[in-house]
Amino acid sequence: MRIGIDVGGTHTDAVIMQGDEVLASTKALTSADVISGITNALDVILGESGISQSEIETVMIGTTQFTNAIIERRELAQVAAVRIGLPSGNGMPPMLDWPQDLKDALDSEYYMLHGGYLYDGWSLADIKPEEITNMINSMLKSGVKNIAIASAFSPINSAPEEQVANEIRKAIPDAKITLSHSFGRLGLMERENAAILNTTLLPFADKVVSSFLGALKQRGLDCPVYISQNDGTLMSADFVRSYPALTFASGPTNSLRGAYKLTGLKDAIVVDIGGTTSDIGVLQNGFPRESNVIIKIGGVRTNFRMPDILAIGLGGGSIVSDDGKAIGPRSVGHKLVTEGLVFGGNTLTTSDILVASGGANIGDKTKVAHITQQTISNAKQTLHSLLDNNIDMMKPGGKSMPVILVGGGAILVTDGLEAASDIHRPEHAGVANAIGAAIAQIGGEAEHMVSYRTLPREEAIKQVTKDAIQRAIDAGAAAETLRTVDIEETPVPYMDESSTCIRVKVIGELAALPTNTSEKIQESTL
Amino acid sequence: MKIEHKHLEDLALGSVFLATGGGGDPYVPRLIAEQAIKQFGAVEVIDPSELDDDAYVVAIGSVGAPTVSLELLPSVEDAARTLEAFEKHVGVAVDAVASFEIGGGNSLIPIVAAAGRGLPVIDGDGMGRALPEAQMMSYAIAGVKPTPAVAYDYAGNVVTFSTNSTEVYERHIRSLAMAAGGMITTAEHPMTGRELKNSIIPGTLSFSIKLGQTLRENRGLATDMLAPLQALFKDSIYGECRLIFTGKVIDKATRIVGGYDIGEATIESFENNNSSLTVSIKNEYLLARKGDKVVASVPDLIVIVDYESSTPINAERLRYGQRVAVFAVGCPQFYRSENALKVVSPRNFGFDLDYIALEDIT
Repeated sequence: MRIGIDVGGTHTDAVIMQGDEVLASTKALTSADVISGITNALDVILGESGISQSEIETVMIGTTQFTNAIIERRELAQVAAVRIGLPSGNGMPPMLDWPQDLKDALDSEYYMLHGGYLYDGWSLADIKPEEITNMINSMLKSGVKNIAIASAFSPINSAPEEQVANEIRKAIPDAKITLSHSFGRLGLMERENAAILNTTLLPFADKVVSSFLGALKQRGLDCPVYISQNDGTLMSADFVRSYPALTFASGPTNSLRGAYKLTGLKDAIVVDIGGTTSDIGVLQNGFPRESNVIIKIGGVRTNFRMPDILAIGLGGGSIVSDDGKAIGPRSVGHKLVTEGLVFGGNTLTTSDILVASGGANIGDKTKVAHITQQTISNAKQTLHSLLDNNIDMMKPGGKSMPVILVGGGAILVTDGLEAASDIHRPEHAGVANAIGAAIAQIGGEAEHMVSYRTLPREEAIKQVTKDAIQRAIDAGAAAETLRTVDIEETPVPYMDESSTCIRVKVIGELAALPTNTSEKIQESTL
Repeated sequence: MKIEHKHLEDLALGSVFLATGGGGDPYVPRLIAEQAIKQFGAVEVIDPSELDDDAYVVAIGSVGAPTVSLELLPSVEDAARTLEAFEKHVGVAVDAVASFEIGGGNSLIPIVAAAGRGLPVIDGDGMGRALPEAQMMSYAIAGVKPTPAVAYDYAGNVVTFSTNSTEVYERHIRSLAMAAGGMITTAEHPMTGRELKNSIIPGTLSFSIKLGQTLRENRGLATDMLAPLQALFKDSIYGECRLIFTGKVIDKATRIVGGYDIGEATIESFENNNSSLTVSIKNEYLLARKGDKVVASVPDLIVIVDYESSTPINAERLRYGQRVAVFAVGCPQFYRSENALKVVSPRNFGFDLDYIALEDIT
């Protein structure tokens, strides 16, 4: 049996799962110390189900703690950013276009050194030992301990990053260092940004992971603990002490993955209807479809891939016009319980329409008795066509697809949706995030720029796949369960015809767990 | 007019639209230009007509694979050093610099050079969009020789060129770019003020800023963007602007067309009416077809934007599932001349069809 926990900004949700079955679930408030929120949730699910701690094989945790820390500019440590790439990029220092308040919060310093590689593996410049010595002396003076290192084309050759890190460790043994090539992907500034954001979170990551483990220990859970990352795969809790940035998008990812597990639908549209917005995402082969635009975290460009989410202003608190022909995007939000008509307020909301139509029994329904049938039917039509049109835009093809409704506002959808082949309203939809965490697998990803002229395509893909597999194994995957889930080839424009960026992603089961036979892969193609 | 820090965001955005899918992400060039203007001050922009007939002008920009410069970052001083190396090579001081390509990052490099050397930049460029090869430049089409030219790499190595033809120059400069880490800065196509006036696509620098401003101020659904865009293009050297399609990218593949590797994106209409648009891609978006019917073709501009925000999408970033809108814009009259169509018609990109001007397609 597995426990899935989602530690959000306001709620801590927890579930116990056996295979695909949810045995117990709860929603508790997140506590300031994180620990008591988790122990409270654990007490509920263990108590209600009567399951003993010894039956729990693993615990999976999803958390937005690190995203929130960056966005709110708190818990951020002093950082040194080291760029290896001179003479290229002179006058273009690290953190050049960061928001000033974030730079201030990091109390950062930077160093630019000669070195790095070119796209074809040639040396960009020789490393200059005296530059390293000067840098280390300066670091010793400032006392900085958290250091991010990025060198040009390090996803192809990471030796310069490793070499500089070794020199720093010799002089500053307790330094916490992030090497940018751990974040794969070409794009030096974005990769460097990811490394710096990661580095500034390292002391906080230690604290958070210790809180997680402490809370579990307090409740007698000694099993392996994993934390879910952006792409819906897991890393071991100790890995997160070094790579907290990999959790940045785990919230929406877990919600989509949870919807998949609750319905068993691998290809579907997921609509998460809250108080203010509806977030529409797409499941492709059981995983969220990724967005292709550059993702900014706290105002900083990064190379992280995030789920493609279309947010529209439609929720349980959305304001409805008197004739019912316009809804949202304005919403009374969390003030619904005082401002909505059925709660004695003065604002007509979608929830009031629902009550007036007899679709739900919340608040005082006499307060909406005056609403005309015409307004009710107009509002319902507006709401459904708003969803229909936007679902249509997110659908990958022209055919209608299953739609999974989750979130507290799902009850607003009272009629069918034209864009949907059928509508699913799974049980336990309120704790989809915790379920998404509980079912996560282990993955690994690698990216290289190659020329098919010098390296045949099949051989090139094999090499990149090998790197991806190594990353997955390092993260805790069982080698024999790994399978390739995505190969992306992007021709490099204006280069010779056969230059291509190859990105490979592999996914498999946790090494710590007995392999689930239903998901076992018959033949590894790697 | 002077180009200041505040203009760069709009210039970069407008230049991506004019890049028709190519030209590279101007993000890094924009940062470089910001640094250069911060360091050296605003850059004076002069209209080609204000230039003395005897003035000496050179075109400057980056050559190579923009993707590479995401790792091999340019330096702030590269462009000015290139210009100095050029002046040393020819033994003549340059009076102003021009852009060879307004589409993408090369809209910004002349500004970086001009800032570093305290020179004015000419309002105009050699393409009015982005195109892949030197012989497609208006300068070359009007008879300006590409050399003497100078190339400068990230490590400060300087290579000079003296070639017999623009095609040979193009081939040599590409090979050097590959050998020098994938990206170089060149000063080329030197010309007199008189030659420049006969060969430049005028006003594109200031136009790109206005275009960026329009895209920024009206950010939102592409269907709502059409009217402001039409208003802007109508009174420019471009003229016609159409919204030719809205839908979802349902396929992106590469196939061989006439010996070229041509990418093809298929976009399916939002309305489930089985209507789709196929866009052929070779660095830039070159051809848009509904079934067999051509609805827009090079040298007219085909621009794919994000449907919800109307932000232009580079061909490298175009992916399965994206919701997009496709605009077509008439090219400047210069590119519809017989001479120009000898090098930029659909046939020059391997398609077996003649160019039909956008306005003549119904």
